[in-house]
Amino acid sequence: MNRRKFIKKSAVVAAGSIGVPYLLPTGVLFAQQAPMMAKHVVFVQFAGGLRQQESVLQRYLAGSQNEQIEGNIMYNLLDGAPPTDKIAYGIDDVKNNIVGAFPINPILQTSLQRQGVLFPEVRFSKGSAGHFNGLSTGVSGNYYTTSGLRQRTASPTIFEYLRKHAGFKATDCWSVANTLTGSRSLLNYSDHKDYGRRFAGNFIAPTVTFGAPGKEHFMDFKNYHPDTDYEMFREIRGFLNQNFTNEGLEIPHLYNTPEEENNIREFVRQTFEKVKQGKIITPPVSDNGDLITLGYTVELLRWFKPRLTIVDLSNIDVCHGNFTAYLKNVHRADHGIAFLWKEIQAIPEMRNNTIMIVMPEHGRDEENNSIKDLNDWFAFDHSGSPNARRIFTMMVGPGVDANLKRGSEQSPLGDASDIVPTIADIFGIKETVYRAGLLDGSARSLFDRI
Amino acid sequence: MNMQDLSKKIYRLGIGCLILLMVSCQKDYYVYQIDDQTVLPVNSQKIKPKSVSQYISILYTNFFQRAISPNSMLGAQKAIESIGDKQVAFDILLSKYMNDPKVIIPSKEEMLKDPEAFIRATYKRFLVREPTEAELNWMLNYIKSRPNVTPEHFYFGFGTCNEHFHY
Repeated sequence: MNRRKFIKKSAVVAAGSIGVPYLLPTGVLFAQQAPMMAKHVVFVQFAGGLRQQESVLQRYLAGSQNEQIEGNIMYNLLDGAPPTDKIAYGIDDVKNNIVGAFPINPILQTSLQRQGVLFPEVRFSKGSAGHFNGLSTGVSGNYYTTSGLRQRTASPTIFEYLRKHAGFKATDCWSVANTLTGSRSLLNYSDHKDYGRRFAGNFIAPTVTFGAPGKEHFMDFKNYHPDTDYEMFREIRGFLNQNFTNEGLEIPHLYNTPEEENNIREFVRQTFEKVKQGKIITPPVSDNGDLITLGYTVELLRWFKPRLTIVDLSNIDVCHGNFTAYLKNVHRADHGIAFLWKEIQAIPEMRNNTIMIVMPEHGRDEENNSIKDLNDWFAFDHSGSPNARRIFTMMVGPGVDANLKRGSEQSPLGDASDIVPTIADIFGIKETVYRAGLLDGSARSLFDRI
Repeated sequence: MNMQDLSKKIYRLGIGCLILLMVSCQKDYYVYQIDDQTVLPVNSQKIKPKSVSQYISILYTNFFQRAISPNSMLGAQKAIESIGDKQVAFDILLSKYMNDPKVIIPSKEEMLKDPEAFIRATYKRFLVREPTEAELNWMLNYIKSRPNVTPEHFYFGFGTCNEHFHY
């Protein structure tokens, strides 16, 4: 064989091997459809109901309080100068008793908007603009007109697609919640009969696991040997389970392998050690639950290096009754997301190999309610008004165009259901997910929208 | 006697034997009016999962021989809910209980003194039933074949098995 023939044949074999289907551990035949764009994805659900006026439109008080003061209070994410008057979103000036007087220093030298793609006018197009509905759409790519709390999504989550069709392990997939309220613990798998718990992602609410409840009931748990003690636990338990013949009746576990279970327990143990020593990483400012959750998320990323992590925030929901606190928490969410991105770049396995997506779960109303805060500023709810359906989406990472803006107020582009096909696209299973036929009709990969 | 007469006699004899056979004594069959029964495993009645609070309450009582306080129950519920994989969460919770000096578990000496009584008591304590013969034999063999096994290992396995989570 001459050199030319050898190279030609090698190329054919290599190309063929990429497309050759193989059997996943789940028993499903998998053919890689497209090369992966990145090895890791982190999706931040900028939740709690974020108005366009205080985010991408950068109107500060001009869009809400009849005060003509504009400016950008999310300067890590967005390009734009901050407000110059009536600063109330920063850190409190305790000495002079001025709430939010000192803006938090930016973490990123280059805004995420400049590093990636911004879709400034995306629509949460269907269903009620409630937090759980919005979060459910984010993880499942479908809308739920009648779905209530305490109910898992009817359509599969992206975790299930990835575990079933891309062969991801359970510990490759994490849903991280800021709180247990609002049924957030139900976002890691759906009720769909062909997917469900068998293909679930792991879930953790770290401020609870490592907060007061976890300190009382988990911290300093007995350190059984994973090979000797746990082998006997599993043998005895396995025999008992085998004799419990009622099919399907089991403790709702998530099909972590014994090694993965050991790894999760060890993560919990080591994180408690850090808690005791005060060594949990936090953003430079960490005075609310969102920021502490993002700190724990970094601990989780460092430990597991998950392929997909979805973390939701919630503190901006104070906007129902306190506009000043809302502004402060919007500013802090920007700070926390920038910190998360910076820390991702400090994890060798994830650096330059992670795409981060940021999207609020829904917006808030244009019209205020009647509640005023200490600055005499009106509060805002989120009904089903058009303004509550206006959101943005941002994407940054390898293979994502930099400094690109797509869509406008006159010509909205993108839908809240786009994130699932986008993540599927990044991991090379977009066509399989489309073929499953369980996404909302308007859901499209953001890469296709570009 | 010609051949024709002989055939007739054999024919008559055959008919006679057949009649005798038909009217002879028959074995009596007794019917005791027993309906067909489907034999189910001893634990087949347990078809409902316990709620997390029921599970924690029973687990705590089994290990401490007293009821968990309402505040402690609330905290334990939240801690369990904060971890998605409930098997992992229950394992951690029980490992925490096992580190508590107040936990009540028989000693290894007690177990080895009368292994059968230990196994029977453990089944009753956690699964509220007697073991089947097969189960009893497996457990007794396990004690024999595993010199390092302790009552703690059995209690952990029973406390976190699927049957204990159902009623």
